Amino acid sequence: MLIGSERIKVVGIGSPSSDDQAGWLVIDALANKLPPDVELTKLDRPGSLLISLLEKADKVILIDAMQCGGSPGEIRHFALGEWANYRTGLSSHGLGVFDALMLAKELDCLPETLDLYGIEIGSALPGDQPSDAISDAAEKLAYRIAKGLTAPLGQVAQ
Amino acid sequence: MTDQQKMVSIHVPVLTRVEGEGALHLRIQDGCIEELKLRIYEPPRFFEKFLEGRSYQEVPDMVARICGICPVAYQITAAQTLEKLFGVEPPPWAKAMRRAMYCGEWIQSHSLHIHLLATPDFFGYDSAIAMAKDHPEVVRRGLKLQAAGNALMDLFGARSVHPVGVKVGGFHHAPTEDQVARMVEQLDEALPLAGELVRWAAAIAMPQDDQAFTSVAMEDARYAIEAGDISSGLGMSIAAEEFEQRFNEYQVPHSTAFYSYMDGQPYLVGPLARMNLNGKQLPVSIQTLMAETGLAFPNTNMFMSLVARAVEILYALGEARRLLQHYERPSRPDMDVSPRAGIAMGCTEAPRGLLWHRYETDAEGRILSARIVPPTSQNQGRIEEDLRLSLTAFGLDHEDSALRLHCEKVIRNYDPCISCATHFLRLDVDRK
Repeated sequence: MLIGSERIKVVGIGSPSSDDQAGWLVIDALANKLPPDVELTKLDRPGSLLISLLEKADKVILIDAMQCGGSPGEIRHFALGEWANYRTGLSSHGLGVFDALMLAKELDCLPETLDLYGIEIGSALPGDQPSDAISDAAEKLAYRIAKGLTAPLGQVAQ
Repeated sequence: MTDQQKMVSIHVPVLTRVEGEGALHLRIQDGCIEELKLRIYEPPRFFEKFLEGRSYQEVPDMVARICGICPVAYQITAAQTLEKLFGVEPPPWAKAMRRAMYCGEWIQSHSLHIHLLATPDFFGYDSAIAMAKDHPEVVRRGLKLQAAGNALMDLFGARSVHPVGVKVGGFHHAPTEDQVARMVEQLDEALPLAGELVRWAAAIAMPQDDQAFTSVAMEDARYAIEAGDISSGLGMSIAAEEFEQRFNEYQVPHSTAFYSYMDGQPYLVGPLARMNLNGKQLPVSIQTLMAETGLAFPNTNMFMSLVARAVEILYALGEARRLLQHYERPSRPDMDVSPRAGIAMGCTEAPRGLLWHRYETDAEGRILSARIVPPTSQNQGRIEEDLRLSLTAFGLDHEDSALRLHCEKVIRNYDPCISCATHFLRLDVDRK
């Protein structure tokens, strides 16, 4: 087994709206690059459901679209200490990823390892295709994730 | 402007993938509320127009997108109304499983509201995250209950957000006996938690604010969820077909959302209205628990809406268990449907209250016109009336922050689709 008995999940959060598909594109790009016991999940605004998903894993890699004023396609890794700075408020309909993570932290539901990546996006218009910058960034991040998960056994698929 | 003249503006920012932007405009003069306007200025969403020209088969999945919290209410109401139009009576299995699925939506929606939105207000926290620091067991219990509701929706709809299981004529898919057995186990685990929730909610020191209002909810042989006639606390009992004769939607200049009046007056829909009219139909075990905890319905204190939701969670868990305990997978989950031209109306009890649909189709089952009256617009007139009474009783001389929090609490009692956004209320006070 690749990572012993660790339960590993890679979760891409997104919507069908052009660049907002970034998280889903990473999951698509990871297909067949990881062992079958690594769970790949695409989610649309998971809200508080994210907490129950986190509870049942030892390691989770989360990918979401972000708008932080950078160039589309920029990839950023968020450390635990940065989450609170990105909270925008708690709501039932719009419970954000950072809110859900903060709540999971308070409830002691976080997995042992949690990597959170953001991909800077531009347009998020319903029905549009993602831009090339986003597709390229998704491929790049998928490669990085696959390398991180498989490197110990040298199984990175190109 | 004197010290007693205040301009209060409460702004709700636009949220991604969320409907709703609103504000409360309040002008106080000489110690009295001179003007109070709940402004909902969400952009028109044109769902009713989107449906025109579409096949009846597309309608359940399209209307599910109206709300991410209560998609089941929209799709079951649509499916049942179109079945009525086509003269189709779904088999008993499909009817029972729709009620079970609907229970799942009540459980998840109510759990979300109680634990993430409403209770932080009553314990002095600004969010569930802050409350979770001191009371993790309360939030954890809420999330477990919500998960049980989501699992029920997932069981029949393949996913809990915008599920896709319901169709005109039944379901697309029937779960296996093993899947249902696991679901029953999860319900069994959740039921004691819901009992604890009712006891806990009943012990919350709610503000006392009794008001006179008319409750409107469906009535049926069982506690009405997905079937029944429309009744009111004034003795009205009408079929869905008579809705337009008694209920009128209209626009006001300060809001883009419709207001709805019954016989020219505001009214209440939702859990408290249901408990007020149908609470006596609850099982003896729940009636006993309510008596033990000092809960009594009918109740005219809007703050008891939270407790009504807790009781409904307990009921919905038990009802779903009853419906699923002797489950047998049918040979097929649907029946044949032959479309025809006509008009039909139907309604169900969404988590937030009465949801009414009307469809007109051509002979091929294409939608010629659609009308959808959701619970939030029906409650808007009542919310304004409540704010006026409640703020006056609370005292208009309170600090701005206290006024704002009280407004938020009042609005949240109705769990409107903008309730999430009212956590962001911004209060601008102009004193001269």
